[in-house]
Amino acid sequence: MQANRFTISALTLALALGGAALQAQDARPVYPASSDKVSYAELDKLPDWRGIWQPNIGRITGDEPMLIGEYKKHHDEEQAKLKANSNYEVPETLDNCEPDGMPSMMTMPYSLEFLVTPGKIVINQEALMMVRRIFTDGRPLPSQDEIDPNYFGYSVGRWEGDTLVVETIGTKPGQRLGTPSITNSDQLKITERIYLDAANKDLLHLDFTYEDPNVLSQPWHQNHTFRRDRTWDILEYVCAENNRHPLDENGQTQADF
Amino acid sequence: MRTIITRAFIVSLLAGLSHAVLAHHSFSMFDQTKKVTHSGVVSEVQWTNPHVWIFIDVKADNGTVEKWGMEFTSKVHLARRNFSQDQVKIGDNVEFTVSPYANGKPGGRFYTIKLASGQYYCDVGAAQKVCDDNNK
Repeated sequence: MQANRFTISALTLALALGGAALQAQDARPVYPASSDKVSYAELDKLPDWRGIWQPNIGRITGDEPMLIGEYKKHHDEEQAKLKANSNYEVPETLDNCEPDGMPSMMTMPYSLEFLVTPGKIVINQEALMMVRRIFTDGRPLPSQDEIDPNYFGYSVGRWEGDTLVVETIGTKPGQRLGTPSITNSDQLKITERIYLDAANKDLLHLDFTYEDPNVLSQPWHQNHTFRRDRTWDILEYVCAENNRHPLDENGQTQADF
Repeated sequence: MRTIITRAFIVSLLAGLSHAVLAHHSFSMFDQTKKVTHSGVVSEVQWTNPHVWIFIDVKADNGTVEKWGMEFTSKVHLARRNFSQDQVKIGDNVEFTVSPYANGKPGGRFYTIKLASGQYYCDVGAAQKVCDDNNK
């Protein structure tokens, strides 16, 4: 009898929870990127970004970051350590095979691939097999407090002619921002303008604007370019396959084999 | 203002660059001011990411054998730079040059390798001259 009562209670609870889960699911909006109506014809109007894109390493233009507060202090301290010891390594998550997230995933010395679908663009970064999604279906950018901070943040994009304009918020604090000794706070907003060069359709421009009221006194711009390769596909890169270099307690990579 | 980059910041960008090029870790564990060359027999090949490793048994004058580890970039980069697994086999006699580990461990970052075929394979950058001079 006791067992029966328990069974019935458990059943009632399970049904109640199930109902709540269903209700919560019903309340979630269905955005156009996942709706049951779709037009692939829309894609014909977009520029051709197929193939893979390799970064022009070291050819970054832009302006100087106007750092403030503890972020300026951190940058100055790390630069002093580098100046004193050219073998010093600024500690970063990447050293441990952890993805470095946005914005750095876009500028790794490996290839990018753009998969353009109705309402959503998926970007594959070959290094560490990183993936991000940009929603282009008209949904609003959520507020910072609606996003659980994550490596790649939440990205909403729109087409301005042949330029994709992307706004990203919600990246994890402490990731690399533009250069190893600068990191972001939880208030970072990244705006990207991505477009083919007017004179060379095999050259892609990515112009970043970083805004972070805790880190920068004014927006910081960095401009990168990429060259197209139509002969290769993205290759597999699993960082945990054979990572032979553990970090010591100071975040310095150790030669260990 | 937009296009002005101060000299100090260029230096900091360059400091970050070496890290960016290797992607997975910095060059800081290598003594890049030095180059060490040895000959030996390939004992192990690990064709993997984030780095390819080739291990070589190097015999010292006194007859003892030391296992050297040569660390390359990723297999992704090597594939695109025309270096493949079938060019190095266990048992091959090779001559290799590395920037050695700063901590004295027997190994280092790949610079050049003279393969059993007699052909050189060289890293990107300054090492390419070795290939240009030797691969006729």
